[in-house]
Amino acid sequence: MPLAALSILLPAASFALLALVWPLRHTGKPAAWISTAAALGALVVAVMTLLDAPAMGEPAQVWTMPWLVRGGRVIAEVGFRVDGVSALMLVVVTFVAACVQVYSLGYMADEPDPALGRYYTWHSLFIVAMAGLVLAPNLLQLVAGWELVGLCSYLLIGFYWRKPSAGKAAVKAVWVTRFADIGLMSGLVLLYVQTGGFDWDAPQATAMVAALLFIGVMGKSAQVPLHVWLPDAMEGPTPVSALLHAATMVAAGVFLVVRCWPLFEHADALLTAMSWIGAITALVAAITASVQTDIKKVLAYSTCSQLGYMVAGLGSGEMMGGYFHLTTHAFFKALLFLGAGSVIHAVHSNELGEMGGLAKKTKATAVLFGIGTFALAGFPGLAGFFSKDLLLEQVFEAGQYGPLAILIFVAGLTPFYMMRAFCLAFLGKPSEKAEHAHESPVVMLLPMAALAVLAVVAGYGGGAFAERIGVEYAFHVTPVGLVALVVGLSGLGLGYAKYGLGKLQGMEIPALATFVRTGPVDRAWVFAWERAFKPFAGGIGWFDRYIVDALVNLTGWAALEAGDRVRTIQSGRMRDYLYAVALGAVLVAAAGTFGGIAG
Amino acid sequence: MTGPGLTAYLIVAAVMFALGLYGVLSRRNLVAIVVSVELMANAANLNLVAFSRFGGHPQGEAFALFALALTVAEVVVGLALVVLASRVSGTLEADAMSELKG
Repeated sequence: MPLAALSILLPAASFALLALVWPLRHTGKPAAWISTAAALGALVVAVMTLLDAPAMGEPAQVWTMPWLVRGGRVIAEVGFRVDGVSALMLVVVTFVAACVQVYSLGYMADEPDPALGRYYTWHSLFIVAMAGLVLAPNLLQLVAGWELVGLCSYLLIGFYWRKPSAGKAAVKAVWVTRFADIGLMSGLVLLYVQTGGFDWDAPQATAMVAALLFIGVMGKSAQVPLHVWLPDAMEGPTPVSALLHAATMVAAGVFLVVRCWPLFEHADALLTAMSWIGAITALVAAITASVQTDIKKVLAYSTCSQLGYMVAGLGSGEMMGGYFHLTTHAFFKALLFLGAGSVIHAVHSNELGEMGGLAKKTKATAVLFGIGTFALAGFPGLAGFFSKDLLLEQVFEAGQYGPLAILIFVAGLTPFYMMRAFCLAFLGKPSEKAEHAHESPVVMLLPMAALAVLAVVAGYGGGAFAERIGVEYAFHVTPVGLVALVVGLSGLGLGYAKYGLGKLQGMEIPALATFVRTGPVDRAWVFAWERAFKPFAGGIGWFDRYIVDALVNLTGWAALEAGDRVRTIQSGRMRDYLYAVALGAVLVAAAGTFGGIAG
Repeated sequence: MTGPGLTAYLIVAAVMFALGLYGVLSRRNLVAIVVSVELMANAANLNLVAFSRFGGHPQGEAFALFALALTVAEVVVGLALVVLASRVSGTLEADAMSELKG
């Protein structure tokens, strides 16, 4: 068994301990320490795995045992596959998870003990599920992990289950992703039908498999129009939003595409569709993010937008850009969410309007959030700059100029709304609540600092990153990159001018803002549900009730009725039986005489 | 050899059997039913004797004698049962004895 297995087994042990030994879970703090220790252990293992992972060109380290066996043939295996792609993702997952768990020690300190224990139990399960997904040697195990992270998402969104809105958000997340998973499951079945297994590099698999899998990806990675669950998922605790709904779980969809790259690589029509879907997602979500008043909603739509970026990047037919952006985005978006959590911790409100002027009270948070903002904005030298530059370059080289234009526009919109959020929260006149704000404890600032370091330097790891996944990469200045840079910097400047300096007041488009705030996509889904899904389900229900059930009931009714008729023969009166005997005798005699049986 | 032929005997036997069957099916009195059964048994005996006489085989007559002896035994047992049944149920009506009916 490879070393990487420990990154699953440690959190699994923690989960089993916390889940089964309920007194431990109910004591809160010890449960938190056990889970955090397991997460840190998993991180150490993951880093060692990455250092030891097979480099470009070497075969992957695979350790498996048979899972589904039929007639002596192994249909699917369960185990671990360590190669460049999985080792990198494993480090990202365990690093963010460890940071978030340490951060939660401070952020969740006021929770009652049993709730804290429950919180850390699900966190341990999440690492198990996500690591199982990342290290999967075949698509079936990947999907198993996929479902498990979906379960963790449900449980953690609904963590504050006394709030009705949290429960609703959790159920919504499940429904929307399950809806998309219809595609994923169909793809899985089709893959098995076409190849007789669940390997993503089987040459017999067609582009149809990839297209069906991509529907599942759209649900998990919140692509328009299936993104509606992600903003609602912000009902969960902020560290959960950072880990699941920004850095890792929502990126599982993008990871699936990267992992199953042999399936997607040559599906040209699908790649073009991916570019457009990703670009439209990036645009719609970025516009929506620009008018949100809740700091977590801004970040949620921003995540959605950046996931659109990644999908569009993968649509270029090169996986490095999208995957690299996934990695850098995981760091700075987790940092931003943890920063938002720190601010919320300080003012006890999510509303940007109730913040303002926090920079004076919470200097460290302001600096760290600022680093995240600039990294996401693609400020030169920070992580987001390199990955976005590469991504746009690849979309350009693929000749997809439509998506490229949208993405470059979004590259300007992103810094704008991030600057808006930053200015509204940290600059300007302090609000009433902000006056009483206080800086978060070190246990919260430390993980943020760790993420901030990576948000700064991760971009310089591009070469090593490319080497791990077997492609070539070296940063160079390109016309597309320069255009995006100029657009991005002007977005940053506009945002600061408008929200930091209070100029450009005539710039709003009130009609658009109002339209966006009403949630048009949500309403479209409700409309579709009313007009299409419900009648469709009703029709199927009718068929089931009045055709399928009717046939079954008819069979039963006929047997009962026939029995009812037949049983009257058995009257219990001797005479009736004798009649029957006599009649039988006459019939036999008649047959003997006229039927010629004897002769 | 003069007198009626085989067919006449067979017709008489058939009529006797039919009467017996009719009696069993239509009468409700247990004694009448037993008498009707006897009628059917004797119709069979008449056939045996008639076939024996016209066929020239003595076995038929021997068989009829045995059957008569058996019939006597059967009537004894049958009537004993009828007496017992009428004592238990207080009636000779066959249809009234339906306590075992489900």
